[in-house]
Amino acid sequence: MRSIFFYLLLLIPTVAFAVPTIQPAMLPLGTGTDATAAGTARMVGAMLEYTRWPTARPVVRFCLAGNARHAGRLADISLSNGAQLQFSSVTGSASARSEGCDALYIGRLDPGPMQGLIADTRGQPVLTIAEDDPDCRSGAIFCLLYAPQTLSFQLNIDAVSRSTVRIDPRVLRLSKGGY
Amino acid sequence: MSAPVDNAPSTPVLPTLRQVLARAHMRLILFAVLMAGVTLTVTGVLVIRGYADRNLALIARTVAYTVEPALIFDDMDAARSGIAAVAASESVHRVDVRDPQGRELVLWRRPGDGIMTMIEGGIANLVAPSPATVEVRRGDRLIARVSVHGGAEGLGRFILSGLATAIACLVLTLIATWALARRLQRDVTDPLGRIADVAHEVRANRQFDRRAPRSHIREVDQLGRDFNALLEELNDWHSGVLSQNRMLERQATRDALTGLGNRAMFERSLPATMAQADALNLPFAILYLDVNRFKPVNDTYGHDAGDAMLIVIAARLRAGLRVGDQAFRLGGDEFALILAPGVGPEELEAIKARILDGMRQPIMLPGGQRVDGSLSIGSARYPQDSADARDLLRHADAAMYAAKGRRAGGRE
Repeated sequence: MRSIFFYLLLLIPTVAFAVPTIQPAMLPLGTGTDATAAGTARMVGAMLEYTRWPTARPVVRFCLAGNARHAGRLADISLSNGAQLQFSSVTGSASARSEGCDALYIGRLDPGPMQGLIADTRGQPVLTIAEDDPDCRSGAIFCLLYAPQTLSFQLNIDAVSRSTVRIDPRVLRLSKGGY
Repeated sequence: MSAPVDNAPSTPVLPTLRQVLARAHMRLILFAVLMAGVTLTVTGVLVIRGYADRNLALIARTVAYTVEPALIFDDMDAARSGIAAVAASESVHRVDVRDPQGRELVLWRRPGDGIMTMIEGGIANLVAPSPATVEVRRGDRLIARVSVHGGAEGLGRFILSGLATAIACLVLTLIATWALARRLQRDVTDPLGRIADVAHEVRANRQFDRRAPRSHIREVDQLGRDFNALLEELNDWHSGVLSQNRMLERQATRDALTGLGNRAMFERSLPATMAQADALNLPFAILYLDVNRFKPVNDTYGHDAGDAMLIVIAARLRAGLRVGDQAFRLGGDEFALILAPGVGPEELEAIKARILDGMRQPIMLPGGQRVDGSLSIGSARYPQDSADARDLLRHADAAMYAAKGRRAGGRE
């Protein structure tokens, strides 16, 4: 009985080494109907975590524009500094500036209005996130990249430099084709 | 082969000076090296341990800072590459990142640790236990815990190299002790040993001519020179005692005036000659002699004249002796002779006649007077006349007085 216990003890390190280390590529999307929406919410939350506005925002005005397909769970986001999210929509001729947005989440939109919307935020403390711009040409700071099982993002350095919001440089390493 | 038997069990075998010195040096050096080595090593270990602890904590904090966004973005690849970027250049074996529930998120291991690193790491873990653990927090939220293992190879290396250095120092100092002991042997112990040899020679064999050699160490040389001077004095003293002893013996056994043996010596010589005669089974004889006209000379010309007369008579007696015969002055004008064993009756008579004949010539006194030095002789033969010393003397004495009486009677 004791010898069995001893051999079991011997086995423990072997078992520990045999456990494969987790190597997820990018943010893994879970399973379920709204897995993509949940992943999107996590990623957007992380982006907000590492964004610094010129002055601290106790309430982050989070604006949605265009046809956002994966924005269903954004309300789940809770920031570690305790700031609350206040959602609003930007439609028609309204701009992020006029709506007083701190963050602008852009869904599917025609290239023209999208670029206009984003150009309007230049020099403003607005974090722009494009949901449907895999080539990241719209000028948004963050572009979400959807793959079948994972979600990643690209950071547009050019856009960061034109904006007055500051992105933690550590995030740079995490973006697609990171530096 | 039997071991040499120690025939003086009461005296324990004492260590030599060199052994004592070598032992003292050895202890001193061992103590010094150990003290220095232990002190330095302990101090060094404590200092390095402090640095290692802080270094490990710093690495852990850096890792935590680096992986924090990756954890927030749930990107474990990025987290792993971030850890590798920080930890690869440091002496870190393993970094693991666990979520607050303890589940492993990322595990990084240094690839291909050598056996030396393992040994050093093992030693280091004994004195500076890892890991250093740091929490990754975002605001109030605990995201993960980062544990960094290792990071103290420097400590292990220090202890190993310290040990090696201590052993090398020990070997060096042992060689130095050996050389020092040899030098001491050559400069101190050997000269002292030679002085001791000389002292032993002097004591055992009375060889006062031996001298301790010079040395080029002042104290040892001083000791040798003082010892030699002492030896010189001892030599003088010894020869003085010897000559004094000889003089005292002379005084005790010789008659100061004539140089012949005195009565004490006669009383010693007689039994010795008897024993010699017994051993050789040969007869011998003694003669008693008396100066016939000593008292009138003494009274008439003074004691100086008497003394001069006795000296001349003694010289004449001595001249008439054979080899082995002995002459004595018993006191006053009385003399005695012991004739060596082997003398027969005829030779005895011949000797007596020769002595009387030798005295026929008158004796010249210092004052210019001439006096008669004739003697009366009585003899006794051993063992014919008596085998007892006292009896033999009495016999010779009686014979002498008889001769004196005959002479006086003959003259009157």
